[in-house]
Amino acid sequence: MIEAGIRQVRVALAMVFGRPVNPRLVERLIGDALATIEEFGAPGDDVEQLIDGPFADPAERRDLQTRALQRTARRLAKRSVFYRERFAAAGVDPGALTPDSLRNVPVTRKADLVARPRDFICGRPQMVTQTTGTTGAPARVWVSRYEIELWPALIALSLLLRGEARPGDCMQVNMSSRATAAVQEDVEVFRLLNAATRVVGQVPPDESLDHLLDTAGVTPTLLSGYPSYIGQMVSAARRRGLGPDDFRLRGVYLGGEVLSPALARAVRETFGADQVADTYGMTELLPVGGRTCRHHHLHLDPNMGFAEVLDLETGEPAEPGRLGTLAVTPYFPYRECMPVFRYDTRDVVRALPERLDCELAAVPAVSQVLGKANRLLDTAAGLVTPRDVAEALDELPGAEWPVRYRAEVVDGKLHVTVVAEHASPVDVTERLGARRIDAVAEVVRLGPEEARALCPLRCDLEEKTFVRGAA
Amino acid sequence: MSAGETLFLAGVDCAFALAVPLGAVLYLRRVRVPRPPVGTFNGRDIAVMMGFVLALPFLYLALPGAALPAVLGLVFAGGLTVGYQPIVARTLPRWAAILALLGADLTSRLLLGGNSPVYWLANSCVVGLIVVSATNLNVQGGMRLRNIAWFILLLGLYDLTFATVLPLTQRLADAIQGYPFAPSAGLRIGGLGAVIGMGDLLAYSLYTTAAYKAYGAAGLRTALPLVVVFGGLVPAVTPPVVGWLTGHTPSLVPAQVVFAPAAFLGYLALRRRGPERRMREYLATVTLPAPVVEPAA
Ligand SMILES: [Zn+2]
Repeated sequence: MIEAGIRQVRVALAMVFGRPVNPRLVERLIGDALATIEEFGAPGDDVEQLIDGPFADPAERRDLQTRALQRTARRLAKRSVFYRERFAAAGVDPGALTPDSLRNVPVTRKADLVARPRDFICGRPQMVTQTTGTTGAPARVWVSRYEIELWPALIALSLLLRGEARPGDCMQVNMSSRATAAVQEDVEVFRLLNAATRVVGQVPPDESLDHLLDTAGVTPTLLSGYPSYIGQMVSAARRRGLGPDDFRLRGVYLGGEVLSPALARAVRETFGADQVADTYGMTELLPVGGRTCRHHHLHLDPNMGFAEVLDLETGEPAEPGRLGTLAVTPYFPYRECMPVFRYDTRDVVRALPERLDCELAAVPAVSQVLGKANRLLDTAAGLVTPRDVAEALDELPGAEWPVRYRAEVVDGKLHVTVVAEHASPVDVTERLGARRIDAVAEVVRLGPEEARALCPLRCDLEEKTFVRGAA
Repeated sequence: MSAGETLFLAGVDCAFALAVPLGAVLYLRRVRVPRPPVGTFNGRDIAVMMGFVLALPFLYLALPGAALPAVLGLVFAGGLTVGYQPIVARTLPRWAAILALLGADLTSRLLLGGNSPVYWLANSCVVGLIVVSATNLNVQGGMRLRNIAWFILLLGLYDLTFATVLPLTQRLADAIQGYPFAPSAGLRIGGLGAVIGMGDLLAYSLYTTAAYKAYGAAGLRTALPLVVVFGGLVPAVTPPVVGWLTGHTPSLVPAQVVFAPAAFLGYLALRRRGPERRMREYLATVTLPAPVVEPAA
């Protein structure tokens, strides 16, 4: 009791003052939390304060953010060749930065990371991870031993205190095995929670279903993957006549692509999972992550980094209601090996007012990701986002997930080409029309290869096995 | 010590040894105390508690005579407001009751003297209430019967050491008796007197409540008779019996020396029933009355 209290204070002080957090300390706090839940069945009173962290307090946030940004920038100026040059060129004094003067530092893009990876390294590289998006060359991000140890510990503690994971769980990981940091993180998180993992990868979906059904060892209770791949699993499960009673899943964690309400519902109904979480994470931004609330806001953890929405037109911080790209600065001491500063994700979101009325209101939020900036559709009737189109098409009758499509603007009008077996162009225009999107629709039947060429998705990072091929 | 004196001492001690633990069990059944987001009682906390027990007498003896009641009064007021916040949620009535009780303790001591039954009743009331709430902070914080059985065993050893090797216990007992807010319960009527230390009451109360939490009615049936007999009765009748046998009457028999072995054996017996219930298992068996809600201002 007393030791646990002291450890909580030590972690909180480290977070407030920006001192490196000893991973062992957090691991022991996980042990305390496990003992607490073992005794009481749940954490005690005021656990929200512990989960939300010191930066959730609106009265303190501004001051804490300013100090965290200065701390991060000072370290970059000292250790990162790229940022030393960048701060100098912009005439910025890293020790005097504020959330307002931050805009004087040009944003960092993926191309910078790909072109000059060496100049970003500030620490001792231990493991490399790479981006798994469908656009262009992957960026490689090195992480240090400290990061490898600290991030899972912080995640495990928060999953445990929020009641999302518990001892005895088993997480099936269907992410690409190239997302090494994320995969390693999951394995470590569940080890710390006395729980199990099944790292399955993006094998043929039927084999992933076999894992979900496997009662030898620990049957999966949680599942994580990209929406397109989990969509394939939903379709495969329905083909095999499997339903909620066949699975033991309690939660499904999806991220990396647009998750439509239709697919989320299908995941919930097919797998019988109570919680279908739409999470936001990006290799370049680790350990900053986000969660989606019931009001479809994306809440980004303010303790780990500084998030901005940069207006699509002006590049300046966006007013509430405006569209912009999400830029994030992970703070030192959480990100230390290959940090980025004002990293422009090119993910388009809508800026939201500071005061929100949802279950995660203590954590600042933006809208859900609406799509990549270069995929926005500028029609004569206004901007259409990839999310608008994807959400409409996922509702098509008899939809086989993932729904693949191509959307383009021709003479100010939206043209959508959808790969579908059972839907008609009228179905498509009706679904889009219900969202006040006027479009010309075409439905095509394509083989798998052509469909992938038309619309590549993360599920295409597939991993071959001999299971069915050898038969 | 006459037979009458012994009878009075045994009666009063047994009454306190019965009433305070029962009060703590009742509190456990009816009231939920707040607990920290993360943390449950473990063996290390026992070490810390033992450290307190070791340090406390020196603190008592080191403080100047006038400062001791003031310090104790503040500590008691704090303890009472924390412990009874879940019962009297409104701040004003709660503090009014606490100040009235502490005021009665202080004024009766000053006006009527340390031999007044009014003072002893008021002080016993304060001490009993504090013990009830401290017990629940610990037991509802996850303290287990196993922790308490070991703690009491250490206390017994400690008492034995200081009663025989180092005469601290007697000096301490003399030093703290009869102060306003003395950390002991008891009663004085005419020439008769009985005192039972707050630490002893806490040990009985912890033992009984944790046994009830861990093993339900069976735990209570085991713990309560042990507390009354080995905590109340035996320490009271031992000095005259020893005196009658040896011709030398010890002035004080530390209660934990008698109680600790009995309590530990009681714990061993209960343990044969199976593992202790955890707080979550205990809570699943009780239905709390509607929570006391702070009325809107
Ligand atoms: Zn929200």
